[in-house]
Amino acid sequence: MRSKSVLRLFIASLIVLGALFISGGFLLWSSTPQIFNQLIYNPYPPGILPPNLNSEIARVLREIDVVEARAIARWHSLPPPTRLPMRPGPNPPVLQGSGTESIETLGELMLFDKNMSPGRNQACTSCHMPYAGWSGPIPSVNATIIAYPGTVHFRAGKRTAQRHTYAPFFPVLQFNQEQGLFFGGNFWDSRATGYRLRNPDAEQAQGPPVDTQEMGFPDTACVAFRLQQSVYRPLFELLWGKDSLNINFPANTEVICATPGGAAVFGGNPEPIKLKPEERTEAQSAYDHWGSSIDAYEQSVQVSNFTSKFDAALKGNYKMTADEMAGFNLFNGKGNCNSCHVDGRGTTLQPGQKDTSTTATANPPLFTCFGSANEGLPLNPRNAFYYQTTPDSFGFIGNPFGFGYRDLGMGTFLRSGFGSAPNPNQNWIQFAPMVDGQFQVATVRNVAMTPPQCPTTEAGTGKPYFQKEFFHNGYIKSLKQLVHFYNTRDTSFAYPVTSGHCPPGTIERVTCWPMKEVPNNLDTTTGMLGLSDTEENQIVAFLETLTDGFTAPYPNSDTFTGQCATCDPATDPNCSPSRQGNGELIPTPPLPPCAPAICGVSPTPSPAIQ
Amino acid sequence: MNKALLALSIMILSGSLLAQESPITPRAERVQISEGPEVPLAGGYLTVIRWTVNNPGGLPVHYGIVHYGTDPKNLGQTAKNSIRLNPYHSSTVFRVNLYDLPSKTTYYYTVESIDSIGKSDGVTSEVNTFTTQ
Repeated sequence: MRSKSVLRLFIASLIVLGALFISGGFLLWSSTPQIFNQLIYNPYPPGILPPNLNSEIARVLREIDVVEARAIARWHSLPPPTRLPMRPGPNPPVLQGSGTESIETLGELMLFDKNMSPGRNQACTSCHMPYAGWSGPIPSVNATIIAYPGTVHFRAGKRTAQRHTYAPFFPVLQFNQEQGLFFGGNFWDSRATGYRLRNPDAEQAQGPPVDTQEMGFPDTACVAFRLQQSVYRPLFELLWGKDSLNINFPANTEVICATPGGAAVFGGNPEPIKLKPEERTEAQSAYDHWGSSIDAYEQSVQVSNFTSKFDAALKGNYKMTADEMAGFNLFNGKGNCNSCHVDGRGTTLQPGQKDTSTTATANPPLFTCFGSANEGLPLNPRNAFYYQTTPDSFGFIGNPFGFGYRDLGMGTFLRSGFGSAPNPNQNWIQFAPMVDGQFQVATVRNVAMTPPQCPTTEAGTGKPYFQKEFFHNGYIKSLKQLVHFYNTRDTSFAYPVTSGHCPPGTIERVTCWPMKEVPNNLDTTTGMLGLSDTEENQIVAFLETLTDGFTAPYPNSDTFTGQCATCDPATDPNCSPSRQGNGELIPTPPLPPCAPAICGVSPTPSPAIQ
Repeated sequence: MNKALLALSIMILSGSLLAQESPITPRAERVQISEGPEVPLAGGYLTVIRWTVNNPGGLPVHYGIVHYGTDPKNLGQTAKNSIRLNPYHSSTVFRVNLYDLPSKTTYYYTVESIDSIGKSDGVTSEVNTFTTQ
């Protein structure tokens, strides 16, 4: 009812101001967040959205404002640039001394800029806050819909928000002919390949601003447009050239950039802003500089700083506890974690053992092989994406396939498929069946990072905890469950059921693992490890040593203003790391076959996916 | 400090870290099955066949392959799963999952393994058998 009143108000505004502002068929749209936020898209059945979603989104926006203000102060504290003699012209000066910090600060200012959305209501960090290892900052979202609402409330994507830390270290996506494997890229499905900017992390930063379900601009030129208006425009121009934002945007650009991408009014046109060719090129350059600047920040010690207990232990400045050390040895031994989450470990030579060490690198271990794998996660029916089957106020439908969608990960990307991105390399298309179901082997670093006042991710330990979400679809809700999944996925705990339908007498995520969403290309490096309950706990203890902020305070980790969670095991049977989140389980509806637009695209999955 | 951690820290501080990507390691001169193959789970929904070999080395991803059937002379069905070698382990465990086998049925099978570009590790087991629950 409320949204109907707001809509009437808009129509009235339109009538009053229509003669002046209606242009080219676009609706007048106020870009004030208050009004934008009130045209609600809610196709979800009762109980899907967390009840505190609006207040939590508002909380995160307030926290973003705090960090943005700190970044602005940092900018103003930078020393004046030392200009060196250069040839005449608009070429940016070489910033001797202050250049590195300047570009890192620019990246920070961009990352926390909520004006980078049509509704001026969403920044990159709405989904990636520092106190959560730069992953999802809303515990109730992590526990339920797993994907974060975008500029349009409540459109949402389909996957968890990945950690920014150490993402810049991934190489450009390549297919290694010798190994027959892909390495590199960013995003869960590696679609930020880095083929243009030669940097996947920079290309990842370009994605969300024009993702219909995320920050949601309808045109990449909107990034340049809003940069033109930003308070930090002088810093951008200092780094990228004093004419780098001198673009004569047409009069209707504000209206266009205040309308979310995917709106029917655009008719599928990805460049509704009419620019001259040279101005379109300038806008594209600004969009590229956006990505590069954010990458500079994410590479910096503000984000990726190797300050964990593990790093300290390597230098002899921290003594691991018995459990942490036992977990480290299991990580490399019986747990076999480091076969994919490479820890740079040298062989502990045993008598007669062959040294198979290979060439050294210079960086501390990143705990990833930069590859992808299918770990066989069950379909998560809580995922908001499945419910976006009806048009929103702008005529956009997020997922017309509903539960007929299956997340094939990298396989969909190589097919340039629905919900992914164009594959820039035709030679890779043939490999799609080989990578169906595969997702990035994420770095393990900061998997356990939480706000300081909520010192753990695990429920029922006696400490306040911060609910996180794990793997690409957020099905796993604690580190204990994560290790237990790797340990027991392919044991007698495996059942031919979907989530929410575990047999009586079993407990989902404890003694019952539902079927794999995508059974193809399942990696069995793990799945039946034979770890005891104690050994699982020890691996969790080791994972917790990989959290930055031990040797030096982690920047902006103090900005969480929400509530930590607590629970009472005496009254809540799910108050334990093993059963954490089970109170939010819902039965998966009967699944239709995988939509042809997903599973019927050549080269089709082999075997076929039902 | 634990010896393992000490070894790692010395290698890091001396610049002798291993490559970040999964490394290619020297291939074993000969691959032999040291344990199994065995069937730790013979369910109707999920059957797991497992065997252990000395680390074959070479490319980091290998595939375990099971050839199976109800006739020991006709093992016409195939299942395979990938594993990522751990270059720090002297042995490698392969596991292959078979799904939805009819209950109370006797199957015959052999196992073998190949690397990610199809080169065999050079060992195939003899014919074994299991019966589903």
